[in-house]
Amino acid sequence: MDKKKLATNILTYIFLTVFTLIVLYPIMNVITISIRPGDKLMSTSLAIIPENATFKNYIELFTNRPFLLWAWNSAIVSFVVTFTGVALASTAGYALSRFRFIGKQTTMLGLLTTQMFPATMLLLPMYIMLIKLELLNSYLGIIIVYSATALPFCIWQMKGYYDTIPFSLEESARIDGCSRWQAFYKIIFPLAAPALVITALFSFMTAWSEYIVAAQVLQDTKLFTLPLGLKSFESNMSTEWGLYAAASLVVSIPVVVLFVILSKWLVSGLTLGSVKG
Amino acid sequence: MKKHLQVFLIFLTAVLLAGCSGRSDKDEIVIWHNMRPEETKILQEQIDEFTRKNPGIKVIQLFKETEEMRSGYIVAAIGGQGPDLIYGPSDQIGPFVEMKIIKPLDEVFDTVFINSFNQSALIEVEGKLWQLADKLGNHLMLVYNKKMVPVPPTNDKELIEIGKKLTIDKNGDGRPDQYGLVWNYTEPYFFIPFLTGHGGWVLDSLNKPSLDTPEMVKALKFMKALRDEYKIIPNEADYNVADALFKEGRAGMMINGDWSWSGYGNAGIDYGIAVLPKITSTGLYCKPMIAPKGFSINQRVEGERLERVKALLEFVLSPEKQIETALRVKTFPTRTELYSDKRLLADEVLNKSMQQINNGIPLPIITEMRAIWDAMRPPYQAVLGGSITPNEAAKQMQKQSLIKIKELRESIENPVWGLIVQILLLVAAGVTLFMMRKSITGFFRNLKKDSFAYLLSMPAVVIMVGVIFYPFVYNIVLSFSNMSLAHIHDWSIVGFIQYAKVFSEPQFYEIFLKTIIWTGANLFFHVFLGVTLALLLNKGLPGTPIFRTLLILPWAMPQYIVALTWRGMFNYEYGSINLLLVKFLSMSPIEWLKSPAEAFMAVIITNIWLGFPFMMIIALGALQSIPQELYEAADIDGAKWYHKLKSITIPLIKPVMIPAITLGVIWTFNNLNIVWLVSNAGEPSDKTHILVSYVYKAAFNLYRYGYAAAFSVVLFLILLAFGLTFLRKTKATESVY
Repeated sequence: MDKKKLATNILTYIFLTVFTLIVLYPIMNVITISIRPGDKLMSTSLAIIPENATFKNYIELFTNRPFLLWAWNSAIVSFVVTFTGVALASTAGYALSRFRFIGKQTTMLGLLTTQMFPATMLLLPMYIMLIKLELLNSYLGIIIVYSATALPFCIWQMKGYYDTIPFSLEESARIDGCSRWQAFYKIIFPLAAPALVITALFSFMTAWSEYIVAAQVLQDTKLFTLPLGLKSFESNMSTEWGLYAAASLVVSIPVVVLFVILSKWLVSGLTLGSVKG
Repeated sequence: MKKHLQVFLIFLTAVLLAGCSGRSDKDEIVIWHNMRPEETKILQEQIDEFTRKNPGIKVIQLFKETEEMRSGYIVAAIGGQGPDLIYGPSDQIGPFVEMKIIKPLDEVFDTVFINSFNQSALIEVEGKLWQLADKLGNHLMLVYNKKMVPVPPTNDKELIEIGKKLTIDKNGDGRPDQYGLVWNYTEPYFFIPFLTGHGGWVLDSLNKPSLDTPEMVKALKFMKALRDEYKIIPNEADYNVADALFKEGRAGMMINGDWSWSGYGNAGIDYGIAVLPKITSTGLYCKPMIAPKGFSINQRVEGERLERVKALLEFVLSPEKQIETALRVKTFPTRTELYSDKRLLADEVLNKSMQQINNGIPLPIITEMRAIWDAMRPPYQAVLGGSITPNEAAKQMQKQSLIKIKELRESIENPVWGLIVQILLLVAAGVTLFMMRKSITGFFRNLKKDSFAYLLSMPAVVIMVGVIFYPFVYNIVLSFSNMSLAHIHDWSIVGFIQYAKVFSEPQFYEIFLKTIIWTGANLFFHVFLGVTLALLLNKGLPGTPIFRTLLILPWAMPQYIVALTWRGMFNYEYGSINLLLVKFLSMSPIEWLKSPAEAFMAVIITNIWLGFPFMMIIALGALQSIPQELYEAADIDGAKWYHKLKSITIPLIKPVMIPAITLGVIWTFNNLNIVWLVSNAGEPSDKTHILVSYVYKAAFNLYRYGYAAAFSVVLFLILLAFGLTFLRKTKATESVY
């Protein structure tokens, strides 16, 4: 029995290693681009470390470009969107999972339908709307739009997760004298930690990587978010590839850090261990 | 926990206030441009100098990619906003004039100033001046590596001869390691010189397309011969491959525009530029297109603001500033007094550039050019791919260009149906309200009873409705309208015509099928890989946190660069995927980006790579909801792993996975970016489109907004039908317990 387990474990490691290497290969290429001199996206050489490798793009990024300002702006926008996403999705998801009320089905479907329209087509009316509301060149405008973009998935996902938590938990909490809000906030909310992590990650990424709306709404360079900043390295047929690659790698670091921090709850022991469904 | 919440709320309020007060100064002059980085640097220096001399005026410049600048400007200008100045190639002027979103410049500047420019720098349409160019050019020339090519060729025979000498297979593996000539030859703009060299041109004297000509056929044959007969150019080359080959000293000659030359110097290549060669059979030079680039003023700029914009332009366009720019980035100035300037004449590159400009043909400033490029590209690439003959290609180009011009110029009027549809829409809205009357009254009656549920769900619903409702209704209305180039501001409801067009589109069903394959393949692998990995990672073996973190990287990276990296990996000769296939699997290399089916596969592979980490994260989260006791009980019963998978894992992660899968289908179905980037907007020959990229290219790009809206509504309805069926089947709106 143990021998068999050992064998499956070894197989698991082999599979994970090989797969991870394949997955990482394109990212290695991006690293190569970022340290390759001469701004070349492509190369005929397959060497991971190019000839005359240099870190000058990274230095340039932090010293001569307002990269840190963009990162700060993006961080503000993304955190607010994450917070809004978690707050609104956890509550709305709970209502949709636990209560029967008029408009529930419509809301559930309505949430999905907002994702079905091609985004490019919505840009013009959305822009006109933001002009009317005087929300151009302000974070408030994009924060609202981003939240609306992230919420449908987050709400559905939260609802799905709450569905797996037995009703009996709140019932016993109510019997013990909790209010409805307390039963949700104290008992169910913590149990949904893995889903909250996904909600947070997803909301964060929505805001962290969005370009099209930001490009139309933010005109002031001081307000630029990272995707807008990165775009300024691009140009028709003469993109600063080295810089772009370096920036892309740096941009992905906060996402990974956030993931590492949050994975504690994503795979924690907070399972429903003691609960018998 | 509560304390954190408070801190966060304060932080939130502070940020929102900061966001509001951060609104830009109303007096600022905003410029949108598509300059390359080094030109942008010079522009910024000039702006700084200008603002120092004119305190009180603020100027900001923003880079936009050409296509995005064009569509973004149209959106902003229709909304009565947008930058004060827009800088770009002269071919964007046609549509801007027709949409009435830029200002005639003869009303702004005096004749003396205007007359001091080269005639080709004055972009006139309908007898009025709309753009003042500061650079002439965008012209292709022959760039050569002086170490490999001591004397550049002057005609096609010499070109081929030198090319043959330089195309060498050094290590004898059957594919050349060095080429005589490289360039982005799959793009029609880069083919134009060979068309003109054979005596052809894209338009006749009445500005109608003239693509089905013997000259076109000859030029196409010549192109094919360069690759297949003389073998002096690579089998497959896009812009970045050609650029890399030349920068690495693995290509003797390159055809590229003035924007690229200084980059070759920076990369350490001792380069020279030469006028494009003569075609001996016709005795004609290969003439490139010459496209001026310059400034236009937004229609809405008036009064004192206009004065400031004018002052800025006069400063930036002054001869002193122009020569400064010209000498530094090797672009060609437009003030005629500079043409005898010693500094300009002494510069070898600028001097050669002048010769080529005198030997070029101005890019036609007509809106139809967009339709012509779009019509030329697919048959041209099909000839290179070998699927049609040059004769057929020329015929198809002509036919397609006429169709596309007709589409571009479509002007639908149908007041009768318009009225009927308006009434129908009102009736539909009324009927919906009537049918919902019970729900609505019920809602108000139950408001108090279910107040807790409403309180919890309302904030989210309000935000969603607030953001999406207006755009949504706007699009529905637009889909019944005739909004197009002919009716940008004065569009009206015309009925179901746009819908009829969508369903009579011959390619609709084929592309629909591709979209289904695309969505199905992606989702299958996303979910399969995601769940498998999540299961393996969830075993709690030591070291899994490292794998878990590394595996989310494809999701965390900005898509643009990784998509283009994948495109590079699919390259026929130098891409790592083919090298792997050949070396380790002894397969023959695959023409990933040249044949439709393989290119489509390449796009799917890239998107699978991008998308599986997301499903993995969801599945990891979902697995946490399964009580361990269930597995333990199953173990005691002696259940095999697949039994556990089937009866415990899958049913229990379903509630969390179903929403992710449903939305995954919707997002993948409408995912424009990856198709666009990896297949370079549908290449080869527009064969790799899915519905959403097709509508973008064939409707949105030709300003057929009404048609595009109708197409989007159809996409919406398809997804709605899918969503309803899928959810009913999986009962996802119901609770599990």
